[in-house]
Amino acid sequence: MIASRNIGFVAAAATLLAAAPLSSIFQQWTWLIQSAIAVAVVAGAAALTRLVRAPLWGQVLGMLAGLLLALTWLFPGGGELVAFLPTPATLAHFGELAQGSLQDMRSYGVKVPDTTPLLFISVLGVGSVAIVVDVLAVGLRRPALAGLPMLAIYSVPVAVYVDSVPALPFVVGAAGYLWLLVTDNVDRVRRFGRRFTGEGRDVDVWESSPLAAAGRRLAVVGVVLAVVLPLAVPGMSGGLLDQFNTAGNGTGNGRLGQGGGPGRIDLFAALSGQLNQSEVADMVTVTTTEQNPFYLRFGVADELRPDGFRVRPPNGRPVNRDLPDPADRAQAGVEQQTYRATVEVNRSLNMPFVPVYTDPVSFDGLNGNWSYDQNLGVVFSNRDNSRGKRYSFEYVRSTYSPAALRRARPLPAEHPIRLQQTRTPEVREVSLLVNRLVEGKSTDYDRVRALYDYFSRENGFSYSLSTKGGTSGQEIVDFLTNKVGYCQQYAAALAWLVREAGIPARVAFGFTNGSSVDGDTAVLTNRNLHAWTEVYFDRFGWVPFDATPAYGVQGSTRSAWAPDSDAPDPEPSDTAAPTAPEDPGATAGPQRDEAADKDTDAGFDPTTGAPVERAPTWPWWTVGAVLALAALLALPALRRRALRRQRHRRPAPVAADVAPDDAAGASIPMTVLGADAERARADAHAAWDELLDTLVDYRVRVDPTETPRATAERLAREAVGEDAGSATAVRLLGRAEERARYARDPLTGEPLHPALRTVRGTLAARADRRTRLLAAVLPPSVLLRWRTSLGDSSARLVTASGRLRRLLLRWNPRRLLATRRA
Amino acid sequence: MTQQTWDEVGGVLPHDEFRAASEAIVANIEQVIEGKTATVRLALAVLLAEGHLLIEDVPGVGKTKLAKALARSIDCSVRRIQFTPDLLPSDVTGVSVYNQETHDFEFRPGAVFANLVVGDEINRASPKTQSALLECMEERQVTVDGVTYQLQTPFMVIATQNPIEMEGTYPLPEAQRDRFTARIAMGYPGPDAELAMLDGHGAADPLQELRPVSDADTVRRLIATVRNVHVADAVKQYAVDLVTATREAPDLRLGASPRATLQLLRTARAVAALEGRDYVLPDDLQALAVPVLAHRIIPTADAQLARRTTDAIVAELVHRLALPPDRKRPTGYDTPRPAAGNGRPPFEPRRP
Repeated sequence: MIASRNIGFVAAAATLLAAAPLSSIFQQWTWLIQSAIAVAVVAGAAALTRLVRAPLWGQVLGMLAGLLLALTWLFPGGGELVAFLPTPATLAHFGELAQGSLQDMRSYGVKVPDTTPLLFISVLGVGSVAIVVDVLAVGLRRPALAGLPMLAIYSVPVAVYVDSVPALPFVVGAAGYLWLLVTDNVDRVRRFGRRFTGEGRDVDVWESSPLAAAGRRLAVVGVVLAVVLPLAVPGMSGGLLDQFNTAGNGTGNGRLGQGGGPGRIDLFAALSGQLNQSEVADMVTVTTTEQNPFYLRFGVADELRPDGFRVRPPNGRPVNRDLPDPADRAQAGVEQQTYRATVEVNRSLNMPFVPVYTDPVSFDGLNGNWSYDQNLGVVFSNRDNSRGKRYSFEYVRSTYSPAALRRARPLPAEHPIRLQQTRTPEVREVSLLVNRLVEGKSTDYDRVRALYDYFSRENGFSYSLSTKGGTSGQEIVDFLTNKVGYCQQYAAALAWLVREAGIPARVAFGFTNGSSVDGDTAVLTNRNLHAWTEVYFDRFGWVPFDATPAYGVQGSTRSAWAPDSDAPDPEPSDTAAPTAPEDPGATAGPQRDEAADKDTDAGFDPTTGAPVERAPTWPWWTVGAVLALAALLALPALRRRALRRQRHRRPAPVAADVAPDDAAGASIPMTVLGADAERARADAHAAWDELLDTLVDYRVRVDPTETPRATAERLAREAVGEDAGSATAVRLLGRAEERARYARDPLTGEPLHPALRTVRGTLAARADRRTRLLAAVLPPSVLLRWRTSLGDSSARLVTASGRLRRLLLRWNPRRLLATRRA
Repeated sequence: MTQQTWDEVGGVLPHDEFRAASEAIVANIEQVIEGKTATVRLALAVLLAEGHLLIEDVPGVGKTKLAKALARSIDCSVRRIQFTPDLLPSDVTGVSVYNQETHDFEFRPGAVFANLVVGDEINRASPKTQSALLECMEERQVTVDGVTYQLQTPFMVIATQNPIEMEGTYPLPEAQRDRFTARIAMGYPGPDAELAMLDGHGAADPLQELRPVSDADTVRRLIATVRNVHVADAVKQYAVDLVTATREAPDLRLGASPRATLQLLRTARAVAALEGRDYVLPDDLQALAVPVLAHRIIPTADAQLARRTTDAIVAELVHRLALPPDRKRPTGYDTPRPAAGNGRPPFEPRRP
């Protein structure tokens, strides 16, 4: 009884440990407290039922009841009796919670916040696992099987994280499982009574059991295999060990093309990596009905931390439901037009977002795995990725007149967006600069324009890709001092400055308009990747501002409310843009494109370019692995073929000079053995070896105690059957080998190879199909030889290690202890 | 064994003459012993291997007939000794008697002074008498009263005996048994052979009409030919392995002697020559292992209790012992030879 209680306790604790992987899903640890309560109640119920010696089904019922009580108490629906007695209303409440959990699972990305439905489903799962583990470990005394339900918990993060899962929680869970196993085994051993150890009892004082050494060896082999195998198998190594370092800290080093959860990509790093590539790779093909579309966007970084702008995990509703209507922002000075676009993502682009134009209103071709974050305006998925997606959508393009924007009132201080999106780390230089620039500006729009215009050629700003990336406070100050950078720094710096001025701003990521326009279809490459700033105006929403110098970016577009601050003086249309709202942007003239191409190339250092992310490599890995496997499998057959050819290639004996029969009667005991005799001997040996290999291949017995003559007779009698030709042939082979081995003069001039072919044909004809196939594909003779040599070498190794061990044993301090009498 | 010189045994016979001569002797003996070709050839092989033959079987299967037929087929001096319990050593070797005319002791040669000596029922004589044969069989000489007398070549002792379980027999001492090259059993004839025997032996003894088909000189040349048969290194190694296996087999208290190795190989030469080959095969050794080795070895008490005969033990050894690899050419199917065991097969050493 005590042992059972002990194991029951360990089973409960092991269940909790095995639930550790859930930590990678939840943001907080509430689930752990609640699960612990549920598991404790279950374990207590189990102990109670065992105390009254209830049968197994009684224990199960008791545990189920305990779990129900715990759930009722933890997730009250309002209709309980005495706070924990469930009523039908409670069960209905549980059903609602389960429904809600499905909804939440779809809408939240990892890590999820503590919502009641998700907590309920987690506690329910952990509690059920606790029941199953208890039944298996205590009731049925099969604790090894308890690993299966524990593994079920682990499979939850595996299903959520598409590519890889943090390893540490798994280690914790595995430790719990091992604890359970060890406890059970100790209990089992204890039933036998006291253990006798020591001298002469085959159990060392230091060993727990005579089998412990074997167990240790098995464990070492298992651990080594578990570590080495993922490293050896291509495609797996990127998972476990990398994630060990990066998973769970919320950012990761995610790159476009390598997937990952939508909250974990560092879009800045991805952006600079892609822009710095020496090769141009197509990423997206877009067709739109709009003449001069604005940028295609897929990501937003709106969380400003001391180390820079970060991407928040998005959060939203499936795209195939109702999307927010941007028409409620319509007002004077805002033009809204609805267009339709079709986007085809290249197979090389693999990320949890899909690029869309601002304000989509309906989608075609995206399933329920994809959600739209209304606040961020991005389409994301926690399960799927963008690789090879093709979809179309309708969107509303809004253009704003500067006059209308000027009418926008400042956001009230308690507005959530203002609260959240104007937080900036304290950097004194930035504050001073902002205060200087916005001095005397009355409206938000004028302040933003002042900051926006600051990033102009007149103030010494220029474009270069070769600067170091980064958007942290110090890096922004460096950028503002050096005034050299690319879109990342421009976008982040403007957003920072605008926030500093008390206006919500964020950084958006996406593609500029492709320069290779074919009708209304554009192909966007990695060079089109871009970042810009979005500023929030009350009743207008997020309005884009692109501060990056237009000459540095292929296909950049300017708008009426954010004209090109570097516009050359001879072009009055651009400088007049603020006063000419009927010409909204489209400064991407051919002349500018040329300049852009040149400057991009000039400012780009190919030596720092990383290798381009092209088509996914896994098909090549797979093909390579299959080929390697095939080569590996074909190796024995090839070896066998080579061996046969090598034996066959020996020059056929020419007509022998030494007549074999006058040697017997000659008075001279030895005739001079010429090269022919040696060659005939080698020929006979080769033919005989080939015959033996053939016998092994066709599973005919080969007896090392048989002489060639006896073997040939046996074959003629049994193996080749009534085929007289084969019997003669095999006897000829036997005679040739016997003469070659034992006689003065070998048999010469006999057609050994035809005989060999005859025997081989007969053996093949008499073998069954499986044997024939094996003989062709995996010749047993080659395998046998390899196995033999492997066995020999391992025997040598064991001998050597044994010698070494004896040598080392001389220095073992245990010897001194062992010889001491107790 | 003292080796005879080449001059003494004469020149080598050509292949066909050898075949003709040996076939003639075998055919001649088969007129008397029907249906026992293998036994007859083995007996002839022992003669050509310069060995001695022990024929052991139950009474009445033709042991003495075989011995006498072999003796009569060769035109040479033949003596017959009927071993009886009161036979004395001097009856075998000879004795010096006082000649009153010359007033001197004169040596009267015993029965062993002949080319072929037929010792009938050898285990009915006392061990004392049996021991008289020790010197002459091994050293081909007789020493009486301090004088050594050489025996002629060929010299062969053909002895018959009843199995040891029969009444009134003394077991041969080990030293004596070791001097016999081969022990063969006659075995009962087949039904057809027995019918033919009834016809042939019904009226008169065919032994009486047997005429010699060969003479001592021819036999010497046959022996010379046999000595010339080629033995490859692998075959020698196999002979050594075989004998070593008997010394290390757990079932045996006493293994075969080095003399056994020598005689095994010599008999194998003779068998190979009788089959028309000029080289020895391991097959010959395998076929000869039981006749040549089985009577020399002594099984342990355990094996005796288990009623394992020495024949069965030797046959099993032969069945289990792998062929030695060709030293020049190792193949995958040759049993690897342990390096430390200097070529010994992996049998456990016998416990004392």
